[in-house]
Amino acid sequence: MKNIITIIIRLTLSCLLAAFVMGIFFVMTSKAKKHNEHVNEEKVMYSLLGYKVGAPVPETVKLYAVYRYIVTDPAGKSIGYLVPTGQGAETGFSFIILDLDGKLIEQKPVTVTADDAAEAESRDKAIKAALGAGKEAVYADDKTIIVTDNGARTAYLLSGKFAGFKASISVMLALKTDFGIRGLAIVEHEEDPGLGAEIEKGYFKNQFIGKSFATLKTLDVVKEPLPDAYAKAMEGVKGEDGGKILEQYKDHAIYALTGATISSRAVTNGVKGTVAKFAYRINILDNVLKEQHIVVPF
Amino acid sequence: MANDKSSMQLVANGILKENPIFRLALSMCPAVGISTTVMNGFMLGVAVLFVQVCSSLTISMVKKVIHPRIRIPTYTLTIATWVTVIDMVLAAYMPEAYAKMGIFVKLIVAFAIITMRLEMFACKEPVGASFWDGLGMGLGFMIGMMTIGLVRELLGSGAILGYDVLGFKPLLFFILPSAGFFVVGLMMAFFNYIELYYKRKKGFKS
Repeated sequence: MKNIITIIIRLTLSCLLAAFVMGIFFVMTSKAKKHNEHVNEEKVMYSLLGYKVGAPVPETVKLYAVYRYIVTDPAGKSIGYLVPTGQGAETGFSFIILDLDGKLIEQKPVTVTADDAAEAESRDKAIKAALGAGKEAVYADDKTIIVTDNGARTAYLLSGKFAGFKASISVMLALKTDFGIRGLAIVEHEEDPGLGAEIEKGYFKNQFIGKSFATLKTLDVVKEPLPDAYAKAMEGVKGEDGGKILEQYKDHAIYALTGATISSRAVTNGVKGTVAKFAYRINILDNVLKEQHIVVPF
Repeated sequence: MANDKSSMQLVANGILKENPIFRLALSMCPAVGISTTVMNGFMLGVAVLFVQVCSSLTISMVKKVIHPRIRIPTYTLTIATWVTVIDMVLAAYMPEAYAKMGIFVKLIVAFAIITMRLEMFACKEPVGASFWDGLGMGLGFMIGMMTIGLVRELLGSGAILGYDVLGFKPLLFFILPSAGFFVVGLMMAFFNYIELYYKRKKGFKS
C-alpha cells in the first residue's frame, strides 16, 4: 500500500513538473508561431499575385475575405457566407444565408471588427451571436480572398486541399476574374522527397499558370518528357522568347513528373476540382448579391 | 559505480565506439526515413542532440527520487517533455526547417537510443558524466545521419546540401526509404572493415 502511494505521488509530481515546463515554452513560443503562419500566408498570397517580397503593394489594391459556413437549423442545412459589406467609410460584415438552390434565405448584420473576423475563434463567436438560438454555423474551412484594384475585381485567392499520393496536399490558387489560373503555390504536402515533392518546384507547378477555365475543364496529364525550353521558361530563366514559349504551351496538357505520375495527377485533378467548385459558388453568391442589391466593396 | 572515463572519452565513445546508428543499430526508422539529404540529417541530429542531452541531465539529476519500479514511465515523460519543447521552439523560430521535418521531430519521443542511454547510463552516473555521454551519443547520431544523408543525396539527387554537383540524378532509388537500409548496411560493413583493419595492424586478434 505504501508503495502504491509513493508511486502515485512521484508520478503525479513528475507529470506536473513536465506540464509546467511545457506550459512555459508554449506561452513563450505561441505568439511567434502565430506570427510565422500569418507572415507565411501573406507571403504566399502576395507572391501569387505577382508582388515580390519587399516590394510595396499599391495602395489601391485591397483584399477582402469571404468565409463559407455550413448552417444547420431544424429545417435542414443551408450555406452561409460571411462577407464584408458597404463601401467607403460605412463598412461592416454580413452573414448571408443561402439555401441549397442558391436562393437567399436571410441576411444578418454581424458586428465584428476586421481583425476579429480574421481570427477563427472570434469570428465564430460573432456569427453565433448574430444568428441567435436555433441555428448553428460550422466553418467549412473555405476562405476566399477577393482582390480589388481601385474597386474593380482583379483576382481571386483561394485555398484547396485534396488527396495526394499518401497524405493530403494543400494549395493556394490565384485566379483571374474569368477563372483562368494566375498562379499556384503548394502550401503543404507530404509527397516523397525527390519524386512527388517535386510538385512544389517551378517546372511543375508553373505549368498551370495561364490555363484558361475552358482548358482546365478538360485538362489531362501526359507522360512525356518535359521540353527543355519550356522548363527553363517556367523556372524564370530569362531567355529571349520566354514569354513566347509559355504562350505556346498555354493549352497543353500537364507534363507528369518522372516517377510521380500519381502526385502529378492528384495535383491536376485537385486544382481542376477546386476551381470548378469555386467558380460555381462565387457565381451563385454574386447573383444573390446583385439580385438583393447588397452593397459590397468588391 | 563510478565512471573512470574522462569527458572526452565519453564523447568519443558516442561518436565512434558506440555510434548509435552504425554500431548500436538503434533508431533505424528515422535514420532511413529522413536522411534523404544532408540538411535533413543535420536538423534531426540537432533535435536529437538537444533532447538526449536535456533528458540525460534531467534523469541524472533526479535519479535518487525516481522509484525504481516506474523508471520507464519517468523516462518517457522526460523525453516527451523535451521533445515537445524543441518541437514548439522549432515551429516558432525556424518555420521553414520545421515544415520539412515536423513529423519526425515528434517521433523522437519513440527513439530507442534516448531511452536506452537513460537506462544504461544517466540513471547510474553523476550529472557531469551523463552530460558528456548524452553529448557524445547525440553527436554520434547527428554525424551518422549526415553521412547517410550525404551518400543518399549525392546518389539520389546528384546534389550536396541542395547544390547540384553532378548535374544528373544517378540513382533515383536512393531517395526512397528502402534505400536507406542499403546505405546503412553498406556503411556499417565499411566501418566494421576499417575497425578490423586497424585492429589487425596494431596486432590485436580480431
